[in-house]
Amino acid sequence: MSQQLITESQQVTSAGVTITNLSKSYGDNRVLDNISINVKPGSVTALIGPSGSGKSTLLRCINLLETPDEGTITVGTTTVEARARVSDRALLDLRRQVGMVFQSFNLFPHMSVLRNVAFPQEKILGRSREEAEERALTLLDRVGLREKAHQHPDRCSGGQQQRIAIVRALALNPRAMLFDEPTSALDPEVGLEVLAVMRELAAGGMTMIVVTHEMQFARDVSDHLVVMADGHIIEEGRPAEIMANPVQERTRRFLSAVLER
Amino acid sequence: MDLVQYLPQLGQGLLVSLQLTAISVVFGYAVGLLLALGVSSQLPWLKWPTLVIVEVGRGIPSLVVLYVVYYGLPSIGLLFDNFAAAAIGLTFTVAAYSSEMLRAGIQSVHRGQNEAAMALGLPQTSTFTRIILPQGLRSSIPALMGLAIQSFQGTSLAYSISVSELMSNAYQSSSITFQYLQIYAITGLVFAAIAVPSTWTSVWVEHRLAKGFA
Repeated sequence: MSQQLITESQQVTSAGVTITNLSKSYGDNRVLDNISINVKPGSVTALIGPSGSGKSTLLRCINLLETPDEGTITVGTTTVEARARVSDRALLDLRRQVGMVFQSFNLFPHMSVLRNVAFPQEKILGRSREEAEERALTLLDRVGLREKAHQHPDRCSGGQQQRIAIVRALALNPRAMLFDEPTSALDPEVGLEVLAVMRELAAGGMTMIVVTHEMQFARDVSDHLVVMADGHIIEEGRPAEIMANPVQERTRRFLSAVLER
Repeated sequence: MDLVQYLPQLGQGLLVSLQLTAISVVFGYAVGLLLALGVSSQLPWLKWPTLVIVEVGRGIPSLVVLYVVYYGLPSIGLLFDNFAAAAIGLTFTVAAYSSEMLRAGIQSVHRGQNEAAMALGLPQTSTFTRIILPQGLRSSIPALMGLAIQSFQGTSLAYSISVSELMSNAYQSSSITFQYLQIYAITGLVFAAIAVPSTWTSVWVEHRLAKGFA
């Protein structure tokens, strides 16, 4: 099944994501301080850290939902400089290569599940309605939600909505996927449905950057773990190693707090 | 019961009132949407003039607007017959009020909707027309329905510039028969007969929307 989800979604190869010397401030508050990360094509990076550490802001800088003050972002062959003026074309180009999944799903409540997944394909990739809907149905089938196609999102559970949101992003053939605490709004049990889909995606070779508090997912699925605090990367490396032997005291405190929950 | 003979006249008046309502609501809401967009604009040269239009439209009583259009504008060469003057004046007032309702509706759309559309890479225009506007309109519907009922009642002001709408025909009928109480009571009932069920409908719609769109 894992290969199916990715082959259905991937007609293009996964891209690497490189962030170099990224900084961002809100007024005097420096939320990101000179962050550099290199995410290899097809790899999974987990971003963890206490709230307010800047991990969500970092994620949102990658597709320019937040505008960084300094630094560069490269996705595949598209590079955006923070200080340079970004043309609308470059902006859309970047966003079209990167899919994003939000904590609060953000499905379009006035459209059916099918239209949620098909409409962006029509507008962005110029697919015909039939083509887009056929593709939407295939992908919904892969995550076990084909029977929900003609319902509205408010008739779906949180876990179902999040899987639909993932499918909506995948339908556009992204080259990398960003996940912003995708299971934080869900009951633990329901979260598992979503994590299962993410595991499939990872197994299929999608480049993924995941902000999460799911330590087991981070340990089992991610190739690289980045620990952030106060706008800095305080520690990074192989997930199992960091979780077993954190070097920084701050990491140790954070991990024990999260694992004890 | 000689009152019955005046019913056709009241009926004709009602028809004119309904026409005025339809015109002021259809055009008023359309102009209102444009004004709402103008007020929400980032461009100062667009934002401030539209804001002034909206505040003037909401600040000046409808009756004064009708007098300005009907008696005032001819002095700068703009001459309208009474029906057209009433339609223009009421449309202006409805546009000003509806623009604030539409703006509130559009602003009430969750920020995440815009972010999701941006993250997908949807262009700004389709984000607005296909994602934000439909949801904003939906949440403005209860207020807009209330305004439609008010503007139906407000058409009685057109009496003051001699439009033969319901109120004016009632006045004529009663001035012939001197049955003021009876005729105005009937007139009031006719207004209520339209307005009250409309209000019920709008409450029903509001409940439906709230239920299906949490």
